[in-house]
Amino acid sequence: MTILLEVQGLSKNFGGLQVSSDISMSLKAGDRCALIGPNGAGKTTFVNLVTGVLPPTAGAIRLDGRDVTKLSAADRVRRGLIRSFQVARLFKSMTVREHMELAVLQRDRRTFRLFASVAKTAGLADEVAECLGLMGLGAAAETPVGSLAYGQQRLLEIALALAMRPKVLILDEPAAGVPHSESQRILDAIDRLPKDLAVLMIEHDMDLVSRFASSIVVLAQGKLLCSGATRDVMADPRVREVYLGSRANAH
Amino acid sequence: MSATMTDGLSKGTTGPMTRDTTALAAPRRDFGWLAAPITGALGLAAFWLFPEDLGLMTRIAATALYVLSLDLVLGYCGIATLGHAAMFGTGAYAAGIAAVHLVNDPLVLLLIGGAAGGVMALVTGGLILHARGLTLLMLTIAVTQIVQEVANKARDWTGGSDGLSGVDPAPLLGLFRFDMFGRTSYLFAVAVLVVGMVAARRIVRSPFGLACRGVKEDPLRISALGGSPRAYLVTMYAVAGIFAGVAGALTAVSSGIVGLDSVSFSWSAEALVMLVLGGTGRLYGAVIGTVAFMTVHHILAATDPFHWMLFIGLFLMGIVLFLPGGIASGGERLRALLARKGEGDQA
Repeated sequence: MTILLEVQGLSKNFGGLQVSSDISMSLKAGDRCALIGPNGAGKTTFVNLVTGVLPPTAGAIRLDGRDVTKLSAADRVRRGLIRSFQVARLFKSMTVREHMELAVLQRDRRTFRLFASVAKTAGLADEVAECLGLMGLGAAAETPVGSLAYGQQRLLEIALALAMRPKVLILDEPAAGVPHSESQRILDAIDRLPKDLAVLMIEHDMDLVSRFASSIVVLAQGKLLCSGATRDVMADPRVREVYLGSRANAH
Repeated sequence: MSATMTDGLSKGTTGPMTRDTTALAAPRRDFGWLAAPITGALGLAAFWLFPEDLGLMTRIAATALYVLSLDLVLGYCGIATLGHAAMFGTGAYAAGIAAVHLVNDPLVLLLIGGAAGGVMALVTGGLILHARGLTLLMLTIAVTQIVQEVANKARDWTGGSDGLSGVDPAPLLGLFRFDMFGRTSYLFAVAVLVVGMVAARRIVRSPFGLACRGVKEDPLRISALGGSPRAYLVTMYAVAGIFAGVAGALTAVSSGIVGLDSVSFSWSAEALVMLVLGGTGRLYGAVIGTVAFMTVHHILAATDPFHWMLFIGLFLMGIVLFLPGGIASGGERLRALLARKGEGDQA
């Protein structure tokens, strides 16, 4: 299988504070990987480094074989490195349909057509309908996002990411804020993502992780603690100590 | 809302491989396209009803186009500006100077005004649109002050504080002379306004317009979709500059003079007042606001020359207090109210 995302020796210092140090990992096509770690482990910083929101102090990031370390966040998006946000970041006054249209048009770089009609853009309506159908959002197409239930907003986040035709998809706690009883819907939606995608999910909930991931990467205090197949990582005593242990104590 | 929620829930339980592409909700009906034909029809009706007031109504039509251009910037991009007169005035002076020295075909003059306004917006927008909020507001004011000072100092071209006079356009299309009663001017202004409304609506409904609305709400989210927020803002600013420049040229052509007040801070602020009065982000709100403000202004100034400013103030406060979304939002509120009543009757 081809390696889609390769991170080598990634480090980030804020002044004297080292928040990420020497993290290496890779994702192959079809991977379903979970990134876990206790609060403050540097998960969000890691995602920001990989997506280009923050410049790294050292290290390299390769996307589908090409070095993207120096590229801006928007350039990485255009090359297929797409993320969803932990807190749904959507355009409150736009409808669900308009979100999808914008994502598809932006992906195809057709957003500088000043006199074209969105409604008459060839193929757009079909693709929007298919994406929304995949996420079970068809009936909500005309609902302004501001009055959408939170769980549906999370599904829309995933639908938006999907519409960008990602090679690598980073889902930042896709079920955060969704009642536990409903998180299965989000997982179902993730199950329906194209199989050749590499998906990295940042997640707290070990129950979700065990249902979703085939492999796990564990961060602790900005360092890579361990990585490997889900079962091996979950059985690793170091992981139990820093992550599962601390969580168990907290409850 | 609860209905859509349970709807979504039942969909989620239909199993992982079910594709639900059939149940896409139907698009909502949009009657915004009616605004341009209604404006044209009312404009023609006014031509017969108020033949004495053609001069005022011509100014209203040209100003409506100017306020419409501000709506493109404020209502669809969220750019707060108190410097929109810079583009209006540039268009007016460019058309005026061209009319005195070069050509006098009215349509060519509008093109020159639009090009000048567009270039001014592109250059200044490229320089200042990295800023947001109050900083941007200050920068837009500064741009207007600079343009006004340049117009003031370049007396040989602009006439300075005396204003530029001697704009004498040739007959429209070679057929219709600009008569002393202002009939041609008025019909020309209404026609340009209607064309402007159609073009503006086309732009805001384009993929570009959709992206601009996205930038207005969350520029960072647009970046995450792979777009450049600033490129959209500068482009829309330039497009609005073209509209404002045409409006300025239209004023110059129909009135025959261009003064320093056309690049003033107060003219920028007045556009903002008229737009907020009518309602932002709808296009036709700009026309409604301009007609309401300038008509009330005219009537009050004529009936009570001493206290009319007070009544204008009360009028504005009344609208802002009771219809915070502007006059155009009144119709939508009414419709929502009737819809709710209808549902109640059914139940």
